[in-house]
Amino acid sequence: MSIESGKRPVVLVAEDDPDILQLVAFRLERAGYEVIQATDGEEALRLVTERQPDLAVLDVMMPKVTGYDVTRQIRENQATTQIPVILLTARVQEADVARGFEAGADDYIKKPFSPQELRSRVQAILGRR
Amino acid sequence: MIALLLWCSLALAAAGGLGVCVLAARRTVVAWKGRRRLDAEGRLGMTAIAVVEGDAVDNACLSEADSRVLASQLRRLSGSLRGTSTERIARFFESSGLVEREIRALKSLRAWRRAKAAFALGDMGSPDAVPELLEALRDPDSAVRGAAARSLGRLRAANAVAPIVFALTERQLPVSVAGQALLTIGPDALPGLRELETAGDAEARAFAVELVGLLGEASDVGRVLERLRDSSAEVRAKAARALGRLGAEGAAEELRIALQDRIPFVRVQAAHALGAVGDRDAVEDLLEAACSDTFESARAAAHAAARLDPEAVRSATRGGNGGVHLREAVDLLEASG
Repeated sequence: MSIESGKRPVVLVAEDDPDILQLVAFRLERAGYEVIQATDGEEALRLVTERQPDLAVLDVMMPKVTGYDVTRQIRENQATTQIPVILLTARVQEADVARGFEAGADDYIKKPFSPQELRSRVQAILGRR
Repeated sequence: MIALLLWCSLALAAAGGLGVCVLAARRTVVAWKGRRRLDAEGRLGMTAIAVVEGDAVDNACLSEADSRVLASQLRRLSGSLRGTSTERIARFFESSGLVEREIRALKSLRAWRRAKAAFALGDMGSPDAVPELLEALRDPDSAVRGAAARSLGRLRAANAVAPIVFALTERQLPVSVAGQALLTIGPDALPGLRELETAGDAEARAFAVELVGLLGEASDVGRVLERLRDSSAEVRAKAARALGRLGAEGAAEELRIALQDRIPFVRVQAAHALGAVGDRDAVEDLLEAACSDTFESARAAAHAAARLDPEAVRSATRGGNGGVHLREAVDLLEASG
């Protein structure tokens, strides 16, 4: 779904650091997306089911449920399995990246990250749909 | 006597009561300050984002307290960001005079103030602080030196590589702090590390070789391979480990020779590296080492052989042959399916 089609695509951002959450949400809203925010994995799962966003940006290390598990549960649910997921991770070992892809993530961005790059990746994924 | 005891107990009760009052008052003040800080953070959140986004921010309008809160928010953000966002944060700190203030604080007589300044300068992201942070690596206080190394890493200061490595070899920095700083500098640290691979100090060479193994690329294999013939066993062991990490298939022959090194821990690393580079020609040598070498080296050789050719290891242990290490390797193979 693209912004040109009229309706604003909905992006879920789940991140437990309030500063980063606010910054990412601001950046994506400025780029024309509707952003819904979660501060832990449980809230992220609830919002995914309730709002069925067009894309989810998930921090890996979140309280209650990790980004990996949220991704896995998104993939296991018929209603949400098509939602693309970008993982935001401070863990950059090859095994961690592989674990993210095995869980079903479409892309990952490592911290420290560039907000511009994140926006471009979101645009690229949503533009393909 | 009774009156004296009575007075004493009264005095004790009064002192206790006063202590409780002081603690309660202190707690109230701390909670109030915390709430005020949270309020300020909420209020200034968008200002911090405006700085990161490159929007105009008039920091002259901010009170002293708000400036401090904004600075701490930006320092926190800068740790998670890179690219133009961190450059904008650095410019903000430079233009508001905070970088200069913290640089001055590096000369403070109080060690805790110098350490705090060294730490803050890394978060501010201004390259202007690099020369003073390099100097702070020689501070008499270890907390200041550690904070300076961490900040030089955060600032990706490639010219800090040699000073950090030498601070480590002179026991001025712990290995964990120096290693983390250099890994944070990332591939930009490689030119400095490559020069240090041939440094006069064996400990510096060992550290440099190890980090080249973590950060390096295929073109580093030749130089690391030369260190496999170093006079220091520590360097040879680190070189073998680095070659394994670099996946240096071309180094297999030299690694097989290193399996015969007179120092056991070099043989251990050579065996692991042969397993990592996937040299199937080494299986026979590894099987022999697994049966005849000393404990750690034999164990490493057995595991490497199992990684390269599980069937050969299984076959070597048939009929109760092969020794304990090969049998352990087979047990692990069966357990992992």
